[in-house]
Amino acid sequence: MEKSIKKYFPIFVLPTLIAFIIGFVVPFIYGIFLSFCKFTTVTDWKWIGFENYTKIFYVQGVLDTTFLHSLWYTALFTVVSVVITNLVSFIIAMLLTKGIRGTNIFRTVFFLPNLIGGIVLSYIWLMIFNSILARYSQTIVTTQWHAFWGMIAVTCWQQIGYMMIIYVAGIQNVPGDLIEAAMIDGAGFWQRLKNVILPMLMPTITICTFLTLSNGFKMFDQNLALTGGAPGKSSQLLALNIYDTMYGTTGWQGVGQAKAVIFFILVAAISLIQNRLTTSREVEQ
Amino acid sequence: MKRKLVSLMLVSAMAAALLAGCGGDGGNGGSDEKTPSTDNAGENDNAGDETQTPDDSGETPSAGGGSVYLLNFKSEIDQEWQDTAKLYTELTGVPVTVLTAAEGTYSQKQQAEMAKGDDAPTLFNLGSMQAAQTWDAYTLDLKDTAVYDHLSDKSLVIEYNGKIAGVATCYECFGLIYNKTILNDYCSMDNAVVKSAEEIDSFDKLKAVAEDINKRVDEINEQFGHELTGAFSSAGLDPSSDWRFTGHLANLPLYYEFKDAGCDLVSGQAEIAGTYLDNYKNVWDMYISNSSADPKTLTSGSYSGEAELGMGECVFYQNGSWEYSPLLNPENGYLVASEDLGMMPIYFGVDDANMGLCVGTENYWAVNSQVPQENIDATLAFLEWLITSDEGRDAMNNKLGLDAPYDTFTGDFAPANTFTKDANAYMEAGKTSVAWSFNATPNVDNWRADVKAALVAYTEGTGDWDAVKTAFVDGWKTQWQLQAEAAE
Repeated sequence: MEKSIKKYFPIFVLPTLIAFIIGFVVPFIYGIFLSFCKFTTVTDWKWIGFENYTKIFYVQGVLDTTFLHSLWYTALFTVVSVVITNLVSFIIAMLLTKGIRGTNIFRTVFFLPNLIGGIVLSYIWLMIFNSILARYSQTIVTTQWHAFWGMIAVTCWQQIGYMMIIYVAGIQNVPGDLIEAAMIDGAGFWQRLKNVILPMLMPTITICTFLTLSNGFKMFDQNLALTGGAPGKSSQLLALNIYDTMYGTTGWQGVGQAKAVIFFILVAAISLIQNRLTTSREVEQ
Repeated sequence: MKRKLVSLMLVSAMAAALLAGCGGDGGNGGSDEKTPSTDNAGENDNAGDETQTPDDSGETPSAGGGSVYLLNFKSEIDQEWQDTAKLYTELTGVPVTVLTAAEGTYSQKQQAEMAKGDDAPTLFNLGSMQAAQTWDAYTLDLKDTAVYDHLSDKSLVIEYNGKIAGVATCYECFGLIYNKTILNDYCSMDNAVVKSAEEIDSFDKLKAVAEDINKRVDEINEQFGHELTGAFSSAGLDPSSDWRFTGHLANLPLYYEFKDAGCDLVSGQAEIAGTYLDNYKNVWDMYISNSSADPKTLTSGSYSGEAELGMGECVFYQNGSWEYSPLLNPENGYLVASEDLGMMPIYFGVDDANMGLCVGTENYWAVNSQVPQENIDATLAFLEWLITSDEGRDAMNNKLGLDAPYDTFTGDFAPANTFTKDANAYMEAGKTSVAWSFNATPNVDNWRADVKAALVAYTEGTGDWDAVKTAFVDGWKTQWQLQAEAAE
């Protein structure tokens, strides 16, 4: 068995590997290359070195803060959405593993928002928000903080169900005898939670924080549909900022590409650190 | 052994499927589209006179005939283009592929499609001077072609880098669409500011009328049974409507300034002074203070000016001739009929006595110079067919609904659009049509976004008018320089 797995390994891996190379590795490397070029279409480029990278911050000798603004705005957005999503979905998961009546219905209901696409969802929420805010003569893009909390609400609402399912699976995996043993030792609810359930849940937490973290940084459709970056460009998250650079300014395709490369490095680095941090707290069962 | 064979087959099938998905390209780029595009290979089968195997090498199929590939900009007439393409193929055997970019994604689509070398679109849309610059290496000089020859107004072109890069697909006009019936009813009232719609011939009159109507909405409704809510439609500042003000209304200060400067009215100049921004402000103030919409919620996207005019809830609505068919489309369920509709100039308080509607276009045909010669020839022949043959002219008028700016469209083929007729009437009365000077806007999305941000702040009361001026004037200079840099 072992031997035949080894033998057929290349054959079974090859198709996926080829697809991965064509669909990911090649465009990725080509993308990095293009960030050093001036280009109109991807086949029509001219090497210009680091010029694209300097243009991200300096435009005509003046410091351009839009990228930096969207950088910290995105970071803040990510932190808040990670905390809220994980906290709320964990609480719901705890409640829905208690065996209350209608558990399955609740799970389904909480999961449903995740099945709707981000654009559609955001348009629906846009109407809801604006109808409510209209009473106070405001809209979702009255200030960047309206936009911020609007996007937080939508993303969290959408992601909580998904993360909840992962947490439910994790919680159900915590061995019952461990909890029972803790109870016999006289541990109260909080002690059980802190010393038994949470340590056992660390792999799940790793996954959930990783997913919410990278989703936060990569968020695009909700941003585009809900605020479009307004007011001005102050609610642009990084992905939308890159998109805007790419298509808004003539000849700036390369600059957009350069931003995308920085974006990648950033997200990769943060995700790796997060992964390292939470993995190190995982315990052996 | 047998099992091995089966698994080998499965694996190769999997690999083949994957590769087919990634690499193989029918040469028309239409495979991933939601809109069914007439397929090159398929059309050959239709034509039937050639024994042609569907090829994936991407080479032009038909034997010296070449093919046409249109990257269509106007998503609302996608199906109509597909039909026209089919008709042309049936008549001539030349395959025509039409691919339509979804609303607002033309540049993305173009970026991807143009990279396809010999299989790139042969015919595409140029929207502005900026686009002409971006695609300079790809535009063919249309100087000696039929479309340019037949163009009735030779200013309806994009001239860039010494060549005719684009020739107008259609011409359009914008101004103040108004509901004739309601306006006439108002004019018949006691103490009405004017006694007939024709008397409105200046900004001051327009403003007086609008303010009076807005004040007497209830009175008008009571007397004539209308359901008016305000004089002007809501001035929505969400992305579906903001271009009416940051684009079309901004055209007026730009136009008058370019006129004073004596520069080309559609190519513009590197720096502007904002001389007429006070007029712009006056018009804007008139719009927002004489409508039923709360100025602080104009960004919400919950307003539809079109619906307000269509349902008889307002008298004036700033928009263009393209609104003709949606306003009358029975599917939309609007109450207005063709005879209710009229368009008057957006009186601006500068040269009102001579002012006509704003006539121009944002749609120019450009032919890709980097595709094989036989495809270029086929494309030019297709264009000529569109504007000279009976079938082509019929398609332009009745299917595509484009008001063609060509001297071949006379008699039965003259435009039916009320607004276009109004534009012509103003011209015949000796008024000067206002050019589409906003086509000169540098980095148009960026510039408009900044102007809009300032305009929103002003309208909501969180910013002042000076910020609008700064975004308008300084922003123009900055974006112009950026765009010029990109051309180097």
